[in-house]
Amino acid sequence: MINFIQFTLTRAGLSIVTLLLVCFIVFSLMELVPGTCAERYLAFKNTQGSQITYEDIEKEKIRLGLDKPFLYRYGKWVSDIVLKGDFGDSCILRMNINELLSGRFVLSLTICLVALIFSYLIAIPVGIISATTKYASLDTTLKFISYLGIALPNFLVALCIMLFMTVFYGDTMTGLFSQEYENQPWSSAKVMDFLSRAWLPIFVLGWNATAFALQTVRALMLDENDKLYVMAARARGISGMKLLWRYPAKHSLGPVINSIGFDLNRIFSALPIVALILILTEAGALLIEALARSNDQQLAGAIIFLLTATIVFVNFVTDVLLAIMDPRIRKGVMGGN
Amino acid sequence: MSHLLEIKNLDVKFDTDEGRIIAIDNVSLTLDQGKVLGIVGESGSGKSVTAKSIMQLNPGNTIYNDDAEIIIDNENVLKFTSKNDLKKIRGGKVSMIFQEPMASFAPAIKIGNQMIEQLLLHKETEKNQAKQISIDMLNRVGIADAEKRFNQYAFELSGGMRQRAMIAMALSTMPKLLLADEPTTALDVTIQAQVINLMKDIIKEYNMGVIFITHDLGVIAQVADDVAVMYLGSVVERGPVNEILKNPKHPYTRGLLNALPDINNLDAPLKPIPGNIPSPLDRPTGCVFRTRCPEPTHDCKEGNIEMGLIEVSPGHWVDKCCVNCG
Ligand SMILES: Nc1ncnc2c1ncn2[C@@H]1O[C@H](COP(=O)(O)OP(=O)(O)O)[C@@H](O)[C@H]1O
Ligand SMILES: [Mg+2]
Repeated sequence: MINFIQFTLTRAGLSIVTLLLVCFIVFSLMELVPGTCAERYLAFKNTQGSQITYEDIEKEKIRLGLDKPFLYRYGKWVSDIVLKGDFGDSCILRMNINELLSGRFVLSLTICLVALIFSYLIAIPVGIISATTKYASLDTTLKFISYLGIALPNFLVALCIMLFMTVFYGDTMTGLFSQEYENQPWSSAKVMDFLSRAWLPIFVLGWNATAFALQTVRALMLDENDKLYVMAARARGISGMKLLWRYPAKHSLGPVINSIGFDLNRIFSALPIVALILILTEAGALLIEALARSNDQQLAGAIIFLLTATIVFVNFVTDVLLAIMDPRIRKGVMGGN
Repeated sequence: MSHLLEIKNLDVKFDTDEGRIIAIDNVSLTLDQGKVLGIVGESGSGKSVTAKSIMQLNPGNTIYNDDAEIIIDNENVLKFTSKNDLKKIRGGKVSMIFQEPMASFAPAIKIGNQMIEQLLLHKETEKNQAKQISIDMLNRVGIADAEKRFNQYAFELSGGMRQRAMIAMALSTMPKLLLADEPTTALDVTIQAQVINLMKDIIKEYNMGVIFITHDLGVIAQVADDVAVMYLGSVVERGPVNEILKNPKHPYTRGLLNALPDINNLDAPLKPIPGNIPSPLDRPTGCVFRTRCPEPTHDCKEGNIEMGLIEVSPGHWVDKCCVNCG
């Protein structure tokens, strides 16, 4: 048990180091973009007709703390986020980033996690069936569908569904809310409205993720099913579902859990493009906006920080789960019994 | 008197992407209660496939011939299809021990739980009773600290201990027939000797029939009553172990004996059997051994030979085409 706590703490420490390292890279990249926030703001004012002097720029820099050394500013950025939950201001939009993001990140995360959960709920049983069925044609069909899922890009699926919806229902189903709820405060009706629309991005994201997870589960099951211990169990008279679940399925669960963090990563990466097409007002779309259009480094940095933190956290959880589940790893990290 | 096990005219073929492989060609064997039949032959000669046929453990691409029979208790077990029938030959009347003791335990299930699972499936017992039987069995095969081992996983045991546990598990349901497929091949030599001694004791104590598969004639000499020599899916010679070892008739059996190191003259060069086993995809026509026979005749090649075994002395059978070779 002592060892297990030690393992968890070490693993958590490692996660934090990873997160800090990624943040450092993100922050450095933000620095590399020419022009500071002060210059940009004043340049903006300039276009509005005000006359800007060199002193104005210096003053603005001091006001924003930009005269401080790089490492100091990095430390402050991180500590503000971690200690105060404050992501600072966006210097393009001149708004507090927390306000800008309010709810949107949670919304994005929800869409991604729901897509992920659905894809595994489908992929695990279907992958097992595909790997173990006596009927070669069933396996071939499932394999074909999953290849399709991998080959068809998310945005194409999204466009097809939009086209279909427009033709048959006269509504593109874009956006996360209908127009009448878009700017309303949350209410039960708004939640219902959200749910009636959220299935589309969830489906589009999950479609691809399911196909990948299906391939993973299928390959792991085939691998496990060929092992001697499965034949040895069959030789002891164990058969049917009991054999399947207790032997190959149970033993391929570890690597399946391992792949979850990886898949979440993939879904996150796909989200912005899907969001762009479906005109979703969520964090992924904001990230594209910030990175590609307005060059809003503070906003982009904040979103990347949140995404990275989520992935690092999920990976941490799956590693601990794995250590609890697999006796070989468990013994390594817990010692003795 | 009826035999414990009778294999008659068994052919086994596999459908593969490269074509249909003949793995077993017309094998007939018998085994009586309390006896040990050794099956010996180089790897790929069909020893494992023969043993797996008895439990119907060969994979989905296997084709058995219609007139083949594997008879246990007056039933042709090759015709078993129902779950209950299959249970009888898988863990009930027949148990099997495999070559790799590590790989034959499920890595993430405790050894004890795998033992209990099997007992509950085959015997009318309670969980507690099954646990007691399992621990007694672990004790019987010489595992110290049986109670502790019962709660451990296979990776926590040493190789020899794992094979002992495997033997304990195989015996716990009191099968009439034990199939041991190279049970000592993967072990260190000293451990090998211990496990062989253990098996000899247990075979005597439980009075079951045993098929002991190995590629080592030295092991056969220690444990077996009868021996069948297999080559490329056929039994080329069989009989009582002393007779076969002292008076081998088939050039392949002689080759196997010559390939053993000579205790009295360790400096003598080893004499492996010349040539390689042909690929099962192009099995020789006529006599299967002719591509490696020291003196093949023209007849061996053509269909001009009689197939099957002939009895040269009581119980000693040899492939007809090779009975006069060399
Ligand atoms: N499932 C299978 N599919 C195709 N060929 C097989 C299969 N199982 C065994 N064989 C072939 O059958 C022959 C006999 O194999 P086996 O009984 O395992 O030999 P061994 O005497 O070493 O135990 C070999 O040529 C092997 O390649
Ligand atoms: Mg073998």
